[in-house]
Amino acid sequence: MVRPFLDDTAQVAVPARAPIDPPAEIRPYLQTAGRVRPLGDLELEAQVVTTALGRAELLHLKFEQRDIVALCLIPNSVAEVAAKLHLHLSVARILAADIAAEGYLSIVRPDFGGRSRAETLERVIRGLEAIS
Amino acid sequence: MDSKQSPSPAVRRAPTPVKLVIAGGFGVGKTTTVGAISEITPLTTEAAMTVAGAASDQLGRTPDKTTTTVALDFGVITIDEAIKLYLFGTPGQDRFGFMWHDLTFGALGALVIVDTERIDDCYAAVDYFEQIKLPFVVGINMFDGKPKHSMQEIRWALNIGDHVPLVLFDARERLSVRDALLEVVRTARESLT
Ligand SMILES: Nc1nc2c(ncn2[C@@H]2O[C@H](COP(=O)(O)OP(=O)(O)OP(=O)(O)O)[C@@H](O)[C@H]2O)c(=O)[nH]1
Ligand SMILES: [Mg+2]
Repeated sequence: MVRPFLDDTAQVAVPARAPIDPPAEIRPYLQTAGRVRPLGDLELEAQVVTTALGRAELLHLKFEQRDIVALCLIPNSVAEVAAKLHLHLSVARILAADIAAEGYLSIVRPDFGGRSRAETLERVIRGLEAIS
Repeated sequence: MDSKQSPSPAVRRAPTPVKLVIAGGFGVGKTTTVGAISEITPLTTEAAMTVAGAASDQLGRTPDKTTTTVALDFGVITIDEAIKLYLFGTPGQDRFGFMWHDLTFGALGALVIVDTERIDDCYAAVDYFEQIKLPFVVGINMFDGKPKHSMQEIRWALNIGDHVPLVLFDARERLSVRDALLEVVRTARESLT
């Protein structure tokens, strides 16, 4: 794999010294309270769904936390959370994992929910065949 | 760290997500393909902070210096009450190759779209899927009419084995895209045995 950092330096003009001016836009790490680790590799398609606790606490949550918990009253993938709330993908990942750690969200990762992969694929085939 | 509460139950049962990747070179019709069949207009999100985060961890750099963004588009098909199918398009430009791990991680199969005017644009995708052993199908996007080369020639040019299905499809046609995806899922199923 190409190392992203190396890839970036190779392709993007990055000043050797950062300008002293504060960044013009809010940087993703500010939105995530200084955390920059992607926290496990939460899959793009992992399902995020609000818990009963999250629903009960919804009005006490703030900013993105509230947005995500409100959105995920209906299950959404991590990628959908990012797209619908206009968040950087990795910000959505970090926030979802953090909020889940607080008990307001539950995250279902794609392990086929106990169903076998073959059975899942069979169902996908039937579902696609039904599209007209 | 703490066990302040036992897990609260989810308010809704989350469906099982199944992921397919839609790959191919620049401008071959990936977004068109996803849009033709997705229930939602293909969504776009900015990605790449993962990259900056990982880089800064390793190299002690602040993340804002390595941020770059890439538009990532994807679509959704509800299969039944318990399964959702996600289609993720890979960014066309090579410089976003580092996204591919994220995009393919956990995927069950891929459709590699080829424009016969520029067959070699898809080599990177074919190489990558062969390397990570992700089952894939090559879909020739018809772009108004007949492909410039025969299927045989295309297969030869791609140097893909007979086990890799080659299909003709039209990225703008819902049912044509559906059939191409069916081929991908069937190929994924066969690869299990
Ligand atoms: N005539 C014709 N045009 C097509 C077909 N498929 C895609 N196009 C057009 O080709 C252009 C590129 O298609 P996209 O779906 O954006 O391609 P892409 O692979 O997503 O492109 P990048 O994301 O930029 O790499 C668009 O203008 C489409 O409308 C086709 O089958 N026939
Ligand atoms: Mg596109």
